[in-house]
Amino acid sequence: MSHVVIDLKASLKSFLRNKSTIFWTIAFPCVLILMFGAIFSQSSAKYDLHIQNQDLSDGTASYWSKTLFDILNSTNAFNIQTVDSSINATDYAISNRLSSVLIIPAGFNDSANMALFTGGAVKANVTFVFDQSTSSAPIVRSIVMSIVENLNFELSKGKRYLNVNDMTIAPKRYGYIDFFLPGMIGMTAMTTSIFTSVSISAQFKQNGIFHKLATTPLKRYEWILSRTVYNVLITFLGMVVVIILGMTVFNMKITVDAISLFMVAMASLMFTGLGMIIARFVKDPDGADAAANVITFPMMFLSGSFFPLSQMPLFLQGIAQVLPLTYVNEGLRASMIFGQSQMAIVNTAIITVLGLVCIIVGSWITKWEED
Amino acid sequence: MGNIDAIQVDRLTKRYGSLVAVNGISFSVNRGEIFAFLGPNGAGKTTTVEMLECLRKPTSGKALVLGLDIAKDKMAIKKRTGVLPQDFYTYERLTVKETIQYYAGVFDSHPDVDGLMKLVDLEDKKNVLFKHLSGGLKQRLGIAVALVNDPELIFLDEPSAGLDPKARHGVWHLIDGLHKQGKTVFLTTHYMEEAEVLADRVGIIHNGSIVAMDAPQKLISEYGKRNLLILKKTSHQAVTNIEKLGVKANYDQTAGDVIVHLNHAVGVSEVLHSLSSANVPFGELQLRRSSLEDVFLNLTGETLGEEDDTL
Repeated sequence: MSHVVIDLKASLKSFLRNKSTIFWTIAFPCVLILMFGAIFSQSSAKYDLHIQNQDLSDGTASYWSKTLFDILNSTNAFNIQTVDSSINATDYAISNRLSSVLIIPAGFNDSANMALFTGGAVKANVTFVFDQSTSSAPIVRSIVMSIVENLNFELSKGKRYLNVNDMTIAPKRYGYIDFFLPGMIGMTAMTTSIFTSVSISAQFKQNGIFHKLATTPLKRYEWILSRTVYNVLITFLGMVVVIILGMTVFNMKITVDAISLFMVAMASLMFTGLGMIIARFVKDPDGADAAANVITFPMMFLSGSFFPLSQMPLFLQGIAQVLPLTYVNEGLRASMIFGQSQMAIVNTAIITVLGLVCIIVGSWITKWEED
Repeated sequence: MGNIDAIQVDRLTKRYGSLVAVNGISFSVNRGEIFAFLGPNGAGKTTTVEMLECLRKPTSGKALVLGLDIAKDKMAIKKRTGVLPQDFYTYERLTVKETIQYYAGVFDSHPDVDGLMKLVDLEDKKNVLFKHLSGGLKQRLGIAVALVNDPELIFLDEPSAGLDPKARHGVWHLIDGLHKQGKTVFLTTHYMEEAEVLADRVGIIHNGSIVAMDAPQKLISEYGKRNLLILKKTSHQAVTNIEKLGVKANYDQTAGDVIVHLNHAVGVSEVLHSLSSANVPFGELQLRRSSLEDVFLNLTGETLGEEDDTL
């Protein structure tokens, strides 16, 4: 086991000293996420906020409802659009795919006056209807909350006169980023493991490093174990960075549990084995990169990393069913985003079986010594 | 243990389909000697050394390395031998020191890392990444790596191939140092000078067979041409005078040179004395010593092939 640790340390040192590998492993997925996230998600510096003011008399807004509206408008954080007071705001939000609507109910002005009069014993409520799956809704909500808190402080020096009730829109709707981020983790597991495995095997073969290692007491299985653990660690590193990015920039709710970690480790194992199988049939590092590209590129696009499988033609969906990355992507989405534990377990089982088969075959056909 | 030969090879054969790479060779290497396998590329040198390093399986025959069977005792042989492969290469992004430490770890040995770096004169390069080392420094590091387990026997496969003369002499100096430490060295080379300078004994291999094996000087005196004395721009009359001494002499009409084939009885002084006595004028003198190249040519009818012009 100490030989595995020695080789692993050497590999990790090499990784940290290789800027291009660090870029492709960590920075590249981040760039993709930011790019696609920006294209397909809300990108404006101002956020859309729909406001429905029901507290009108003869078509004129009451004092307190107008005050709240004006304060929200004066922040310049929102593109405020009004919603007709006669329609059902929740239905309107769902049917128009709006991410957030603030409803100021009828009687808000009276409630606010009562709150002032009773020192906060009675509160004036507004309702914030939002779709928590969109990237912008949590941001809008936090801005609205802070504005209301600020107003409370001005009025009462601490007591809560105005109150915001949350109301999420059902059924839950997920944004593109929720779909895309697990796909990026799957893609990172694939590219990191396959490219590292193929290119290292080809380089070691061509440069004679295998030859030298074969003259030492280091056993082939120890080296393969070290490379596999290395690939899993690097994939985890990429995963952590991608998740932090999703949580901080896109306010995603991501569940990282034992199943998702195990699934990523098995995916890395599977692609490491696949890389070793490819490496057995290539002559030199250039050929290795080309072969790795031939395998990873179609898989990247056909396994639902970037676009849902359901958007693809039927025959491509059929192809996706035989691509291992499909099960990684589906499994990670099920466990990390949608909370579908049964689907996650099924996919994990498929990946585990494929992973064991690939690593066993890959280890078996990887040769250090000539015949 | 001490009186067992470092290497004993008995009718070792390696076939690839119909191609016979190594054809039933037998030889032994004494403890503490430098033994050189000399032959052109493709003669079977590397195949032989790789069978002894337990990297290739022989088709037939037997070999003992440090008394251990190459077919059965692979791990024990690996632990007690050091190997410098052709064009040593390792993790590009490890430094000199880290590379030595890596291989020490793999061998579970605790060598004096600083001492090894000093031995191969890489102390001031200890923090340089492998990929930034020149060819000669890489080979020197390869030799240090081959010594991490303090091996009794060291295999050096073409240790100075592709190096410039200065780097080559540096490597030779190192190998000579190992010899002085009492290590057994088995080296393969296609440079006749390398074998002549370093080896106690040389095995000449051609088309997978050993055609001669002995100390370099013995091989030269047995199979080499006689040393030649060339008298530049000298009259052909000199030939008659010289032949009276009982040695063969030719006149090269194109160059106007007289070429004398010296032997054990007649040396340079006898020839010059004879010409002076007869008042035969002669020009500039050139002496061409016989070498292992001549031995190889005589034995095989071929040259060593890729002779290095930087030598």
